[in-house]
Amino acid sequence: MRDPLALAISAAALAFTTTALADDPKQGGTVNTIVQPEPPGLVLGMIQNAPTRVVAGNIYEGLLRYTTDLEPIPQLAESWDVSDDGRTYTFHLRENVAWHDGEPFTADDVVFSADVFHRELNPSARAVLQHVESIEATDEHTVVFTLTEPFGPFLLSFEAGTFTMVPEHLYAGTDFRNNEHNDHPIGTGPFKFANWERGTVIKLVKNDDYYEEGLPYLDGVNWHVIPDGGSRAVAFENGTIDVLPSGTVENFDIPRLSEMDNVCVTEEGHEYFSPYSMLWMNNREGPTADKRFRQAVMYAMDREFARNVLWNGLGKVPLSAFGSNARFQDDTLEPYDYNPERARELLEEMGYDGEEVTILPLPYGETWTRWAEAVQQNLREVGINVRTQATDVGGWNQRLGDWDYDLAFTYLYQYGDPALGISRTYLSDNIAKGSPWNNVEGYENARVDELFNEAATAYPDSEREALYKEVQEILHEDVPVGWLMELGFPTLYRCDVKDLVNSSVGLNEGFRDAWLDR
Amino acid sequence: MLYARLIIMRLFKAVIVLFLIVILNFLLIQLAPGDPAAILAGEAGAADQEFLNQLRERFGLDQPMYVQLWRYVSGIAMLDFGYSYRLGVPVFDLIMARLPATLLLTGTAFLISLVLGIIAGSMAAARVKKPSGSIIMALALVFYATPLFWVALMSVLVFSVYLDWLPAYGFYTVGAGYTGFALILDVAKHLILPATTLALFFMAIYTRMTRTSMLDAAQQDYVKTARAKGLKPSIIQRRHVLRNALLPIITLAGLQAGQMVGGAILTETVFAWPGIGRLMFEALQQRDYNLLLGIFFFSAALVIVFNIITDLVYRLADPRIKGAS
Amino acid sequence: MSFFARFAQNRGALVGLIILLMIIAMAILAPLLFPESPWRMVQRPFLPPLSQEGFPLGTDTMGRNVAAGLMHGAWVSLLIGLVSTSVALLIGVPLGAIAGYYGGLIDDILMRFTEFFQTIPNFALAIVLVAIMQPSVTSIVLAIALVSWPPVARLVRAEFMSLRNREYVEAARLVGQTNTTIILRQILPNTLSPIIVLASLMVATAILLESSLSFLGLGDPNVMSWGYMIGAARTVIRQAWWLSFFPGVAILLTVLALNLVGEGLDDALNPKLSRER
Repeated sequence: MRDPLALAISAAALAFTTTALADDPKQGGTVNTIVQPEPPGLVLGMIQNAPTRVVAGNIYEGLLRYTTDLEPIPQLAESWDVSDDGRTYTFHLRENVAWHDGEPFTADDVVFSADVFHRELNPSARAVLQHVESIEATDEHTVVFTLTEPFGPFLLSFEAGTFTMVPEHLYAGTDFRNNEHNDHPIGTGPFKFANWERGTVIKLVKNDDYYEEGLPYLDGVNWHVIPDGGSRAVAFENGTIDVLPSGTVENFDIPRLSEMDNVCVTEEGHEYFSPYSMLWMNNREGPTADKRFRQAVMYAMDREFARNVLWNGLGKVPLSAFGSNARFQDDTLEPYDYNPERARELLEEMGYDGEEVTILPLPYGETWTRWAEAVQQNLREVGINVRTQATDVGGWNQRLGDWDYDLAFTYLYQYGDPALGISRTYLSDNIAKGSPWNNVEGYENARVDELFNEAATAYPDSEREALYKEVQEILHEDVPVGWLMELGFPTLYRCDVKDLVNSSVGLNEGFRDAWLDR
Repeated sequence: MLYARLIIMRLFKAVIVLFLIVILNFLLIQLAPGDPAAILAGEAGAADQEFLNQLRERFGLDQPMYVQLWRYVSGIAMLDFGYSYRLGVPVFDLIMARLPATLLLTGTAFLISLVLGIIAGSMAAARVKKPSGSIIMALALVFYATPLFWVALMSVLVFSVYLDWLPAYGFYTVGAGYTGFALILDVAKHLILPATTLALFFMAIYTRMTRTSMLDAAQQDYVKTARAKGLKPSIIQRRHVLRNALLPIITLAGLQAGQMVGGAILTETVFAWPGIGRLMFEALQQRDYNLLLGIFFFSAALVIVFNIITDLVYRLADPRIKGAS
Repeated sequence: MSFFARFAQNRGALVGLIILLMIIAMAILAPLLFPESPWRMVQRPFLPPLSQEGFPLGTDTMGRNVAAGLMHGAWVSLLIGLVSTSVALLIGVPLGAIAGYYGGLIDDILMRFTEFFQTIPNFALAIVLVAIMQPSVTSIVLAIALVSWPPVARLVRAEFMSLRNREYVEAARLVGQTNTTIILRQILPNTLSPIIVLASLMVATAILLESSLSFLGLGDPNVMSWGYMIGAARTVIRQAWWLSFFPGVAILLTVLALNLVGEGLDDALNPKLSRER
């Protein structure tokens, strides 16, 4: 699938950019940053939520990392080969890697992590593993994955947060969730867990035995827990905090903070997840079951306004079901521009009778609340009778899981490939109560199912492209969900924190290469 | 002896009330939409039914409600508060880790409000017909009418952002590595804003209360007698008036001490104070039933303890009350 | 002395009454002065006060007219305050009346029940109730009412206990009036004064409670209330002080006015009592 030359070139290119930026990395220093909310635990693989990932991504590692263009580069796997039929993937592991407790990292750890640990605990890894027939360690540093059929995005699945390597010697044969080591995570990463004062701070310290010579530069990273958004902004302002990961301060604070001296902003480091905000529209009943109504909603929303006012002009107004970072995006589709006139026409055409439609905001902070208010007002202005249902995280989960909503805000990760992050929203066999992350809108289209399923296992990429083009056209016409925004999540940091964001998962593993120019 | 019996009786009643509170809260919280498993799964950004089932089984949420209730109540009887679903840590440990911060905050606020309130109130009582007395009362009324969270926001704006005198959030400066006296000083600096904002409302109440009951007491016969005997007014004020005026204040103080935990939710949220008020709000949002119930248990227990203390103090302060109530 | 003359003797009460009337006027005039929805995004966001005609208090994070929000918010705050107080009275007055009138075991049970409610911290209970019922005007009103009735019950009980053995009550009993009639016709009217005074203070507390709930994000998203305005402005307090300042002042003035009026009512309705105090 990937010829060695291209790989060498991209690796060299990466090496070049790294050296060009890092004119002379200095050793030492501790960076203070924020984790919000406080994570439930730090054992990546057992818990995959964002706060766990951002902290534990520096403790644990995966087989591969991904550049901001989503090209795989080595992490624990030094190199890899793919067979011609696209069914066998062989990973050659680094030989000098040790766990934080000193035990060597071997192929057995990979087999255990993938075949036992993740199969039991990790729903996102499980989704990939269903394509895997067998995982074998052929020698101490070689692992072979055999697939049941080709699976296009397979190489994109080895990111640390999704496919974490966990130590077999500590977990094999135990009750994973009650394992005594969960309080003191042991990984292979550049930083070791030091301590966790609940409600206050999580401290990581440098792993002196890290396999990459000279890395990490920092002595440690402190992840502070500050539950109030305003206080987090103050902490950054008065210098207590050096790095504000995306989503830790309200969007309204960002322009002010980024204009301060010695503050840099980057939108990079989210390419792997490419968070995509959508408006679930209940396809089953009520006005939202009518395609014309859903199209009217698309025309009624002033998404440019939301982007400029609520998201500081960051992010992109999306075209259609496939985000701009997703592979195989068809950019020739006609955009749903803000057009209240057209929305009113469509509503008239369908004979909308003013039936009340509810809207469920995402309970994740002020920006989302404001956004729901803006959309509510947009819809009212074209004559839709909207009422907002306030809720908290529990209520939001429950309503979506029970399909008890008309319109609802959400955002989903795209994971780089349509088969990983996009098809799950539209496939009809992904309709199941109880989860807010599957085909919640209840869209059923046999042709779409067929195209998505075929495309996932088609080989090579040119085959996939044609299939995905057709699927995008259908979805664009049917509007199963509203496409709100490809979110731009800025990371704010003091400019003297160097080389912070250098891969497609950004801060989740950023401190590996970071250094302080102080 | 009498005290001992009284305390035992009160404690016995308290235990029953506590159990009722636990059961009521247990049933209440089950009515909230969503459960901890769904929320944990939701945070993970990906979940299948198997994942949810694993979590529910692990938490015992797959059992019928009465089984869950029985398990919980029998746990409490053995002083076992269970584990936090979200954090996987014993609830008791979590609460014990957070309780000192809340007690420090509310205790300080309590003392500030009580002392300043009584001083301001007695000053106002002594200047009942003068402008200075009216100004004190007007201020007290303003403090009473101001939303707590609003004062908190405004004080952060003024004292932390514009003047940069005091830290805006937190319990101590993390990473500064202070020890000993420097640490105490650091914590004290962090304590000023939250404790003062939390104190304002209650201070206003004590001011008004002290003034009223002192004016009240000044009308009593023994004060008139003292005045007739020609005692100095300042001595009358302190010895006769204030001492008697304190009784209703003690009652109120007992009530307020229990309510301070509730008020601390807002203060702790704005000032990122790592106390149990904030922990409670987070537990509620996360549907972390065990943790939430544990916090309710402890705050109700605090209220009861304060009530008993109030009773005892009342008895000490007023020798006229003897025997059972 | 007439009722109003006694009331007006308290200058603070008079000031309070004037402020309160102004706020009520604001609530009534809101739909006339600002017929557009206060949610409508009408101008550039973050317009400072007095910088543009038609926007005396500026605009908020999304370009909505703050003045319109403040006027419409007056209506919501007063409504929530009044309704939740009424509901609290509906719970507290009968409970207190029954406990105080009958005494004995009934009194004991009802008072234990009341104490029980007072043992759970008010604000914490309100938060839990709103979270359970999910935020809406109804759930907020109910939650506020459910945490604020115990003082009513205690007050009414105390009044009933002191009144139930008065001559006129005995007389009513002798002529064979039923307990219900005695409670409703004989005693209750005589307890109204302290209830009214307490109620005016409760409206104030309810407004504060509502604003605190909204501040924590537990408000009804379909109505523009002052608490919501502060909660929404909290994150932008440094860029736009006016967004949280004006609604904060509005709450302060309303609560202040209600308290002043309450004191005035106390003076006017309970002349003997207030002298004694």
